Amino acid sequence: MRRPLYRDRGVVLRTYRLGEADRIVVVLTEQRGKVRAVANGVRKTGSRFGARLEPGSHVQVLMAEGRGLDTISQVEVIDSVAHLVDDLDHLTSALAMLEAADQLTLEGEPNAPLYRMLVGALRTVSQRGGPLVVPAFFWKVLAAEGIRPELDVCVRCGADAPLVAFDMDHGGALCRACRSGAPLGADALGLMRDILDGRLNQALAAPASAATHEVAGHAARAMEHHIERRLRTVAMFERL
Amino acid sequence: MAAVYTAPVQALIDELGRLPGIGLKSAQRIAFHLLKLPAADVHRLSAAINDAKARVRFCQRCFNVADGEWCPICLDERRDTRVLCVVEESRDIVALERTGEFRGRYHVLLGAMSPLEGIGPEDLKMKELFARLEPEGVTEVILCTNPNTEGEVTALYIARMLRPFGIRVTRIASGLPVGGDLEYADELTLGRALEGRREFATDPAAP
Ligand SMILES: [Zn+2]
Ligand SMILES: [Zn+2]
Repeated sequence: MRRPLYRDRGVVLRTYRLGEADRIVVVLTEQRGKVRAVANGVRKTGSRFGARLEPGSHVQVLMAEGRGLDTISQVEVIDSVAHLVDDLDHLTSALAMLEAADQLTLEGEPNAPLYRMLVGALRTVSQRGGPLVVPAFFWKVLAAEGIRPELDVCVRCGADAPLVAFDMDHGGALCRACRSGAPLGADALGLMRDILDGRLNQALAAPASAATHEVAGHAARAMEHHIERRLRTVAMFERL
Repeated sequence: MAAVYTAPVQALIDELGRLPGIGLKSAQRIAFHLLKLPAADVHRLSAAINDAKARVRFCQRCFNVADGEWCPICLDERRDTRVLCVVEESRDIVALERTGEFRGRYHVLLGAMSPLEGIGPEDLKMKELFARLEPEGVTEVILCTNPNTEGEVTALYIARMLRPFGIRVTRIASGLPVGGDLEYADELTLGRALEGRREFATDPAAP
């Protein structure tokens, strides 16, 4: 019996070795959500898949449905990993977003908005990188999931007072009287507002500073709070 | 899932399933194959494993497999100590030696960084690499990790860490299919890749 074929676009989230030269590839597809599929012979020299199925590749795939795992039959590259793997910061940024996307999705649950945000963020990393690409991706994804921190007034008492702390257990920024969680600097607060209030490009252009570092920390903690586990990639490269 | 096999059979399947590249189905197939073999054949296999484990160890200097304190390459005084080739596994040394292009020494990391699986620098022979550079007078480090994401992140990380040493850092180059494993490359391709290695660690953010 011929297995039904389907075509979709997707981003390779991660791969696992399988047997001698094959890999299991986890792809976040546009229409079907997260899919696990076998790529035969991918680790052999001269494999017809080559670099097209490395984590971060944005591809058009033709897959055969299987009883357990689907099988990848054809791959065409839409966005290659060439400019992700040529720089340590680019690569670690990409891996952090892939890890979060993997943790945020279940197999068989379509999530086209996440797929589109991931494609956009990976392109930004490839083209120019920058310290706030990953934090912006985290905040945008959380906002799409309905988690949007309060950044305008104190999340506890509602006062329109200077906000000096940030605590995702309460859901946002806090005034001096109510403060808990981590300290929040005025510059970091401004960057977080830029990200969430439609001034994303302005935020992405910000050069690395103590404030961008702070925003990155808040974003990573908020994402970890949401997925209820630590992000390995973030932990590994935070001190770099 | 309810237990299908008796405890000894299940234990054997579990152990086999832990080996790299062996899934549940293969583990079951190998287990039942072993059980059908004559006792002498099974004994020979287990003796070979025990013997290798008892007699083979890792070179104290480069972590290549060795039968003494040092591996044959580290013992060979004609090798050029100024050039150090960093690889993921001992089997990559075999592939590179076949090319006949390299006369320096090696350093085996015993793996590659895999952030998504939580395998970081401290899980590899990374500190040991940095500790070798000055005493051995190394002037060039060639990063010969696999041309896939794990290999690239490992190479980029080492290059970043080597910045303060002021050593020439190069990466094995073109001709190697990205996404493949070094061990599958033929010696001609690998030899050319070694010869055509490119300067690495030209990091724009470098101070
Ligand atoms: Zn308050
Ligand atoms: Zn040695």
